[in-house]
Amino acid sequence: MSSKINHHHHHHRFNTQIFPPPCPHLAEFRARNGSKPFRALQDCLRVKPPGGRAAIRRDPSEVPRCGACGESARPRLYACLACAAISCHAPPGPSHAAAHATSMPPGHEIAVDVDRAEIFCCACRDQVYDRDFDAAVVLSQTATLKSATIQSAKPENLRKRRRVDYRPWSPDIRDRVLMETGSSPLENGSDLPRGLRGLNNLGNTCFMNSVLQALLHTPPLRNYFLSDRHNRYYCKKKNGVSNSNAGGKRNVGTADGHGNKNARLCLACDMDAMFSAVFSGDRKPYSPAKFLYSWWQHASNLASYEQQDAHEFFISMLDGIHENVEKDRHKPHSQGHGDCCIAHRVFSGILRSDVMCMTCGFTSTTYDPCVDISLDLEPHQGGSSKSVSTKTHHSCNGEVDGMNPGQNCGISTLMGCLDRFTRPERLGADQKFFCQQCQVRQESLKQMSIRKLPLVSCFHIKRFEHSSIRKMSRKVDRYLQFPFSLDMTPYLSSSILRNRFGNRIFPFDGDEPDASNEMSSEFELFAVVTHTGKLDAGHYVTYLRLSNQWYKCDDAWVTQVNENIVRAAQGYMMFYVQKMLYYKASENRAVS
Amino acid sequence: MRNSVNRPPTPDAAEDLGKEPMFQEIINIKLIESGEKERLMELLRERLIECGWKDEMKALCRAFIKKKGRNDVTVDDLVRVITPKGRASIPDYIKAELLQRIRAYLVQAAV
Repeated sequence: MSSKINHHHHHHRFNTQIFPPPCPHLAEFRARNGSKPFRALQDCLRVKPPGGRAAIRRDPSEVPRCGACGESARPRLYACLACAAISCHAPPGPSHAAAHATSMPPGHEIAVDVDRAEIFCCACRDQVYDRDFDAAVVLSQTATLKSATIQSAKPENLRKRRRVDYRPWSPDIRDRVLMETGSSPLENGSDLPRGLRGLNNLGNTCFMNSVLQALLHTPPLRNYFLSDRHNRYYCKKKNGVSNSNAGGKRNVGTADGHGNKNARLCLACDMDAMFSAVFSGDRKPYSPAKFLYSWWQHASNLASYEQQDAHEFFISMLDGIHENVEKDRHKPHSQGHGDCCIAHRVFSGILRSDVMCMTCGFTSTTYDPCVDISLDLEPHQGGSSKSVSTKTHHSCNGEVDGMNPGQNCGISTLMGCLDRFTRPERLGADQKFFCQQCQVRQESLKQMSIRKLPLVSCFHIKRFEHSSIRKMSRKVDRYLQFPFSLDMTPYLSSSILRNRFGNRIFPFDGDEPDASNEMSSEFELFAVVTHTGKLDAGHYVTYLRLSNQWYKCDDAWVTQVNENIVRAAQGYMMFYVQKMLYYKASENRAVS
Repeated sequence: MRNSVNRPPTPDAAEDLGKEPMFQEIINIKLIESGEKERLMELLRERLIECGWKDEMKALCRAFIKKKGRNDVTVDDLVRVITPKGRASIPDYIKAELLQRIRAYLVQAAV
């Protein structure tokens, strides 16, 4: 398919990616030559594993030189696509490439950077992009770097999830009657919004209270419990109807306290009770004693009155809800897609890990579900070693826009952490990975990316370091800046893969179906769990964002605070929810 | 100075070329032919990414594009804008490592 000559200056969208229209010289060139010169270039494409950098060389050992000045050490050398003459281009010095274009008859304006395999218009003096050229380059890069997907929890994503448009609903007469007879109006005029209620500290339980406050206001979770999707009175698991217990004891109806422990334990029921209590309108602080007791039974190794780690509690709690779910044979047990329980439905995403052999380029890919992302907070964040931070401080202050995420020199930011999380990491000599192609352990390059975003993203900042070698633990107090709105697009597998091959118009890889579009990558912050104090003598506090107001939840005390207090706080766990929630088409025929 | 670094040697200025450009040429060719230049480039790329230099340059480019407008920027503009800051902000330890590598190469190549 030949590209259309485009005289408009709007950008095309191709597979949700913008690509710039060709300049008039490129358009003319295409019209005159079609894609023939690009195909000829393919023979000259040399791709070097690892990393797959593409270069243009007539023969592999060619040392390109500028035809005008004989220099081979110039940073940019361009080969004319019409006559293969090589010229240098090194402003502010004379550009022999531009000179070539003007001195030759028309048709010699388009050239290719011999070291980067990117095309350049010598007349416009700017880089230009061509879909067919980039396709040829990417083709040779992917042919050189063969890849495989290892069968480790490969997502069964092939049944495409149809999205349904939102249809607004308002109650009709019958609905109204039903609502009015079955309910009583809640009191108005209280200054705090609904659902804000303090949680009493039961003895160093701020680690639990802080996470509970965040979960109580996690929109999908809150909606689930408040719309009675898990009813504690009818819960089969708790009432012991399930006969999957090893002991075989059946407790039907009310448990007498000495019944089978498994039959009575259901963290989801305790959550349900808590939601009801917290959203009831009663403002007296609530004591989550029942919940604590249930959780102790689930995570008996953590059952004590000692201070625990809030993140550990979070994971343990989600696990508890998952374990106690009704094991319905009809439900697929896929954690990554959240079909198993509400905890995974809300928090579970899928991470993709690519490990590339540095010797042969062979890449192995694995997928793993995750309920949160733990990020390192290293001391030298904001990029560089000491010499760089001082030197570039002025330029950064002047040039870098305040809205620029993650790049303010010297300040750690959440997006900086995510950049480092998805950056290729060298697995050096002591961490060699077995390469299937080389059949031997080789040094490799590992890169993480997000295959599927969860509904709610929880970012956990690794502030507590436990070194078993030195038998000591310490806390990293370094401040981390986090945004109130977050776009996760650059960390998705599709973006990471695209960038791996450089600045190309990238034809969509068939392995990565469009798991997201622009809208579902935007997230809004709604809860921040903070930690103050020392490692062993500290305190957790949660900040909640309701109707764009911030509230501080410090155990039993809930107060409204200014957003700047939140920005300045020491974030330990940050909770972001997808801005736009989509409705999945119902698989149940009976439901309209 | 006869051989100003900003002025590329012109084709008919053979008499201007002193010993140094010839020597540089030879070294360059040797580096390329043995594949050492490619290895040094890879090492440099890795180091510059690790220390965050690449991210900083990216940020500078983004800021510049934001100011000027996406359709008014050429790749030459970007190179012009970031080159002085880029050169100045390379950490010393990276320069030292590369020089050491080149020195080691020259020693074993001279033999």
